[in-house]
Amino acid sequence: MPPVINPKKCVACGKCALICCMDVFGPTEPKTVPLVRYPEECWHCRACVMDCPTGAIEMRYPLTHTLLFRDAPGTLKKEGM
Amino acid sequence: MLELQKEIRSCDVLVVGGGIAGLMAAIAAAEGGAKVIVAEKAHSLRSGDGVGGNDHFICYIPQVHGSLEDFMKEFKASQSGKFSDDCIQRVFAQRSFEIVQDWLKWGIDMKPHGDWTFLGHAFPGRMRIHLKYDGKNQKAVLTREAQKRGVVIENKTPITEFLTDDSGKIVGALGVDVSKETPSLKLFRAKSVVTATGSVNRLYPGIVPGAMFNVPGCPANTGLGMTAAYRAGASIVNIEMAGASAGPKYFARAGKGTWIGVLRTSDGKSVGPFVTQPTKELGDITSDVWPTVFTEKARDGSGPVYMDCSGISQEDYEYMLWAFTCEGDTSLVEAMEQQGIDLRRHMVEFGGYGATQLDRGVQIDEHGATDVPGLFAAGDEVGNFGGHVAGAATMGRIAGESAARYAKAAEENNYPVEQHPVVAERLTFYSSLMERENGSNWKELNLTVQQLMEEYAGINHVRSGTMLSAGYKYLGDLRERALNEVACANSHELMRALESFELLEAGRLICLAALERKETRANHKRSDYPFTNPLLNDMFVMVKQVDGKPTVSWRHSR
Ligand SMILES: Cc1cc2nc3c(=O)[nH]c(=O)nc-3n(C[C@H](O)[C@H](O)[C@H](O)COP(=O)(O)OP(=O)(O)OC[C@H]3O[C@@H](n4cnc5c(N)ncnc54)[C@H](O)[C@@H]3O)c2cc1C
Ligand code: SF4
Ligand code: SF4
Repeated sequence: MPPVINPKKCVACGKCALICCMDVFGPTEPKTVPLVRYPEECWHCRACVMDCPTGAIEMRYPLTHTLLFRDAPGTLKKEGM
Repeated sequence: MLELQKEIRSCDVLVVGGGIAGLMAAIAAAEGGAKVIVAEKAHSLRSGDGVGGNDHFICYIPQVHGSLEDFMKEFKASQSGKFSDDCIQRVFAQRSFEIVQDWLKWGIDMKPHGDWTFLGHAFPGRMRIHLKYDGKNQKAVLTREAQKRGVVIENKTPITEFLTDDSGKIVGALGVDVSKETPSLKLFRAKSVVTATGSVNRLYPGIVPGAMFNVPGCPANTGLGMTAAYRAGASIVNIEMAGASAGPKYFARAGKGTWIGVLRTSDGKSVGPFVTQPTKELGDITSDVWPTVFTEKARDGSGPVYMDCSGISQEDYEYMLWAFTCEGDTSLVEAMEQQGIDLRRHMVEFGGYGATQLDRGVQIDEHGATDVPGLFAAGDEVGNFGGHVAGAATMGRIAGESAARYAKAAEENNYPVEQHPVVAERLTFYSSLMERENGSNWKELNLTVQQLMEEYAGINHVRSGTMLSAGYKYLGDLRERALNEVACANSHELMRALESFELLEAGRLICLAALERKETRANHKRSDYPFTNPLLNDMFVMVKQVDGKPTVSWRHSR
């Protein structure tokens, strides 16, 4: 579930559900912590995290969004890096 | 039966889509004296491709670039300069700086370096045409500016049809209210419509097939503008010329021009000729020029290909991380952090994301007008002009101005939209989706459309006359099945199901256009016509509905 709401910090303002570009929360009930109803439809735009007034949302990036990386060969390494 | 809301929302100009182009169109139309409503699927504060920001704005400043001709040469060579009409590109170029100055005035940081600074997406030794800016707050600023001018924004309102009268001119639009658990239908009466619904995403499989929303552009943009404009009688253009997008694997995200690094294979060899020591002034433009490099290198066995930023200066490294935040790519930065990726030491694999329909779709003229009276279009859904955020903003303004002028000159619109035959027919159809029990979920439809498009009309396989016509037929068969089987439990699912039907229609139109182009050109690779036909240089394929049937024709670029 990509956005994870901390219910202790959430003040149930509804902003995250209002602005989500993917309707991940669906319609909300007034004065309740929004539910993350359609987590697999999250685009990970992070708007909900940025707009939450109390910092109650954290992102969990799913395994399907794993970045693939390895050590750089270092051919271009500069001094001190 | 679903409820058809009693209140009919009336205006001079209805803007469909509250993204970059839509908000700019709304602002311009309101300044032109029109009563304006924006119908937005999500919420205009945060929606579409510009949701979290953008950082490169194509812009012509005579004092910086010299003659318009020199600028045009560079613009046409850029990744967004292809398959466009020259007359629109010129109008865009001449008005782009005006937009930049307004955005600055309104509070978007167009000068994060204190002066006009052009960086990135450039060839060594050549003119730079991408203004570097910080677009983090762009959606909030444009929303505020629209509201200041009296624009009414109806959020959570995906539009599903444009309505025309017997003479074929625009009279309104139909939308769905998805703000509540149970959907209801909303009607708009308007003298003109500006469609600005962005590109067509979720049409081809994503980079990780099971994760349908892991795509580089906003997955809420699913081609309504193109398919509804087609049904209203507009010409659709260049849709067979799929683009190819690329970026980090497996976190699909646009914005590759912000990376400061060199694309290399794992043995450290760079894959392109452009840079050896990348800087913020000059990154590696290889993937703009050769977007299929990743799939090609994987196929010939010399892959994978990585983005290697390890050689850049600490200053440029910090600059890049800041630029990602202007671009709206904060999630990418956070995901890298969580995975322990340090771009000073690690290189990240890049891959192709498959076909994109960016800048392919509705045909406009230099005023943003389609060939349906009263219907205007702007932004990524336009098929004969591309300029990404700058193109959307500039042509959005032009379309908004034209729509307001059109509305002013038009007669009073008293059309009884509630009695429009399309409304009754759609109401019955949407209700049947909601009332059906034990039906198919929309995902089954969307996934099957993706699979058909990939195998019969995609760019990872070759296209051919037989495969494309089979694909066209199968999509038609799928539609018949889906019409009788898809079921939706609530407003959210109805929205997704209607998107999936839109995608299916877009796919059928693409098959038809691709059948017509009997040659190989760019990503349109025909095994039965494996050559590029010089007679088709600068020739565009158009699809238009005539007497209820799709007709395909050609025209020269203008
Ligand atoms: C991460 C990222 C970075 C990018 N960086 C750059 C950059 O630096 N420079 C650049 O030039 N370009 C960049 N782009 C591209 C740029 O964001 C787009 O070209 C631009 O946003 C297009 O504007 P638009 O109005 O056509 O579409 P959008 O801004 O996507 O707006 C479309 C709107 O329509 C709404 N909508 C969709 N369907 C419907 C419907 N049926 N009814 C009502 N509303 C609907 C959507 O919710 C959305 O609000 C980037 C894109 C992404 C994703
Ligand atoms: S990250 Fe974006 S798409 Fe995902 S829930 Fe938050 S606002 Fe919605
Ligand atoms: S924005 Fe934050 S505080 Fe408001 S409802 Fe969402 S999680 Fe709770």
